[in-house]
Amino acid sequence: MRESEFHDVRWVEGESTSILLDNGKIEDINTNYGNGCGVRALCDGSWGYTSSEGVDGIDAAIKTARELASDVNKHSPGEKVTLASYCEPNVDNLPSIKENPRDVPVEEKVELLKDLSNNASCKGISSTSASYSESTLKVHYTNSEGADCEYELTRVGFAISAIASDGASYQVGRESNFDVCGYEMFRDPGILEKAQSAGKTAVDLLGARQAKGGKGPVILDPELAGVFAHEAVGHASEADLVLEGSSILADRIGEEIASPLVNIIDDPTLHKFGYYPFDAEGMQSHKTDIIKDGVLNSYLHSRETAGKLGGTSGNSRSQGYSAPVVRMSNTYVDNGNSNLDEMLEELGDGIYLAGTRGGQVNTGEGIFQFNAEKGYIVENGEIGDLVRDVSLSGNTLEILKNVLLVGNDLKMHSGRCGKSGQAVPVSDGSPHLLISDALVGGVQ
Amino acid sequence: MQNYDISNKVLEFANKYGADEAEVFLSANQVTSASVRRNLIESARNQQSQGLGVRVVKDGAVGFASTNIFNRLEETVKSAIAMAKIRDSDGDWKNLPSNGKYPEINGIFSKKVNELELEDCISLTKEMIDGVCSFSDIIAPSGSFSRMISNQLIMNTNGVEVEEKGTAVSGFIDVITTSDIPSTAYDFRISRDMDIDFYGIGKEAANLANSCKNGVSVESGQKDVVFHPFAFSDIMESSFLSSIEADNIQKGRSSLTGKLNTDIAARGLTVTDDGILNGGIASSVSDDEGTPSQSTGIIKDGLLKSYIYDSYTAGKEERSSTGNAVRGSYTSTPGVGTRNVVFDHPASDIISEIKEGVFVTNVIGAHTANPISGDFSVEGRNAFVIKDGQIEKPIKSLMVSGNIFELLRNVKGAGDDVRMVGSIITPSIWVSDMNVIG
Repeated sequence: MRESEFHDVRWVEGESTSILLDNGKIEDINTNYGNGCGVRALCDGSWGYTSSEGVDGIDAAIKTARELASDVNKHSPGEKVTLASYCEPNVDNLPSIKENPRDVPVEEKVELLKDLSNNASCKGISSTSASYSESTLKVHYTNSEGADCEYELTRVGFAISAIASDGASYQVGRESNFDVCGYEMFRDPGILEKAQSAGKTAVDLLGARQAKGGKGPVILDPELAGVFAHEAVGHASEADLVLEGSSILADRIGEEIASPLVNIIDDPTLHKFGYYPFDAEGMQSHKTDIIKDGVLNSYLHSRETAGKLGGTSGNSRSQGYSAPVVRMSNTYVDNGNSNLDEMLEELGDGIYLAGTRGGQVNTGEGIFQFNAEKGYIVENGEIGDLVRDVSLSGNTLEILKNVLLVGNDLKMHSGRCGKSGQAVPVSDGSPHLLISDALVGGVQ
Repeated sequence: MQNYDISNKVLEFANKYGADEAEVFLSANQVTSASVRRNLIESARNQQSQGLGVRVVKDGAVGFASTNIFNRLEETVKSAIAMAKIRDSDGDWKNLPSNGKYPEINGIFSKKVNELELEDCISLTKEMIDGVCSFSDIIAPSGSFSRMISNQLIMNTNGVEVEEKGTAVSGFIDVITTSDIPSTAYDFRISRDMDIDFYGIGKEAANLANSCKNGVSVESGQKDVVFHPFAFSDIMESSFLSSIEADNIQKGRSSLTGKLNTDIAARGLTVTDDGILNGGIASSVSDDEGTPSQSTGIIKDGLLKSYIYDSYTAGKEERSSTGNAVRGSYTSTPGVGTRNVVFDHPASDIISEIKEGVFVTNVIGAHTANPISGDFSVEGRNAFVIKDGQIEKPIKSLMVSGNIFELLRNVKGAGDDVRMVGSIITPSIWVSDMNVIG
């Protein structure tokens, strides 16, 4: 039986606190201390993974991973994997923490949530919920090629949701922000405005009518356009999906797949929620131009996919002690030259879609579906009535070609992205986009 | 240290630091899995997790902390008590559950599943791939096999002491045609026993992708739609289930508030929350805070009969818990959640009864539904035209939108193809007047 020729170990230690306030009352308050490791071993073309929580048997975990890799290789040998070469990262771009959240008394955090709830509770709001989270994560990476590096990262964030009800129906408004920074995030009075805006959205939606579905021109706000960049384009650019035959972007490097106005970038070095100094394979993080002036420029890579397809690795990520997977970080459509007024004028009659309730994409067929939080009817370039229950769906490549104007008002939003059963922190964003033709779902 | 010793130690610390009541939830899971990448087995995994959550009550306030570092138990308990002290006394808090009479459930632990070797896992994974390869122009980009052995122990200071072992196996496969315009599909099965046809998973997925080649478009309009168990369970999970949870009812976050004993669904539709279903994925002798599991009628023949409760929400209404305390993992406090949810309706050959409509196998975007209003809008996948009682051409793309509460009233029938989709058990469901956008 063949022996494995490579292994690596990620040791993760973390501490987190979360608080949930429901209608102004503490619903849940929770602290977790955890540690554990994820170990990989490669034998020719087969991987073995082990993860164990809270146990300090790293040597045993390495042994099991190596055995698993050899076993798979024996029973089901795969194509030989050649990893792109390893290079020790510089950990010199860590975000600064001005105020360590662990030094702030829990009582103060509860007060903060009460403030947020009060600000969201405008007239017409029947209930609110507000949550706070903080975590500190220490990652230590070593591999059989001699790598040895580590970093510590603090993340904080909050989410607020407000529900408006008139007895017969309900509408929700949500706002949140998560970032790689300290408690200074909560010293910005702007977060109270966010809470107010959640309340206002819920109340406004209650009075809104349902949208009429159909095809036509649309403007996407930065939040929804950011979701498009992440879900429809970003996922399809993940090289593992390209290699397994699940991406509409396979074999298209160098091809003009979008309007020349479109630039889509993934950048883990930005101090946003998707930041990391090195990836789950110990590789330096770096900026990638996925689409450059409308041309597909690069996929996102792990060492394995970079070894196969060429390219630079640095996008392997994992949640906790799970096996690394090719993932995005901070993904956005770069700024163009137009302002919103010009775009509205160009749109004439159509719909302005704003915010998101999430979405899903089939990367293999290049089909997506996103629900907007709300929409506005635009007539003669003027923003008019608010409509609700609007969604956007279509074909990724068609929408990319249909981008008529790109705004100059890039904004990022933070969230978590799920893939292979793992959720990792990400952010995505865009300026406003004018799309000449899209399918908007609503009611008839 | 053994699980019992660890848990006893936690309860001792809780007592030492002044907790009035305390509970330990300890879980230890082992998952062995194999992953498929482009028709080959790419990797095997062995994941071990073990940790505990401690819930304490101090002066009528609850605190919680969790850890997987068993030499930090004392610190964890102290932290839980510190959390309780921050909170005001909660007038609605009654007690942690007391020892009850636990039901007997069959088919939760399978010796065969427990004893599977890695080699067996690999050959079952291969069977799925072989099923896909029975079609020449279809490949499996990704897929997975997994076997889980779980062990859970709940102990509290009111005498609850319940331990349970469970097993599960599952197979999932994604397929795509190698034709110019690709067509995709997936199939999935999960069971607590070794009764899954893994070859069949691959073959059925491939067959579906194959029959979806060269899709046509459909006209928009109000149509009859038949939802496959995959599509129906996905929509129900995202837009309906949270509305029967007592905490949402009590907080005014459910459209079903005040609707008990009223008609909310078509006559013929019965929905049961069943924590004791034999072989059910969400079956266990107790819920996640030690209350004995039970079966609760939610909708009977269209009539809303009950909401579901954990001990806290039950205490608020001076009633008993329905055994619906659920935790995502040992790191979270229990909250109200469904167990196995069984949809039941008299079966018939529904396709033959439909003159014009669409059949939707699965949907994408169900999680974007508004769970309070029940409004949803999804993209239908692997969908087909139904014409004159027959399933005809595949549909390239369509959106289906509507409101879940209207959908429940418009249920016209059900197939005889009852399927366990995770913890939701349902046949295909025929619904009239759905809004379809082609």
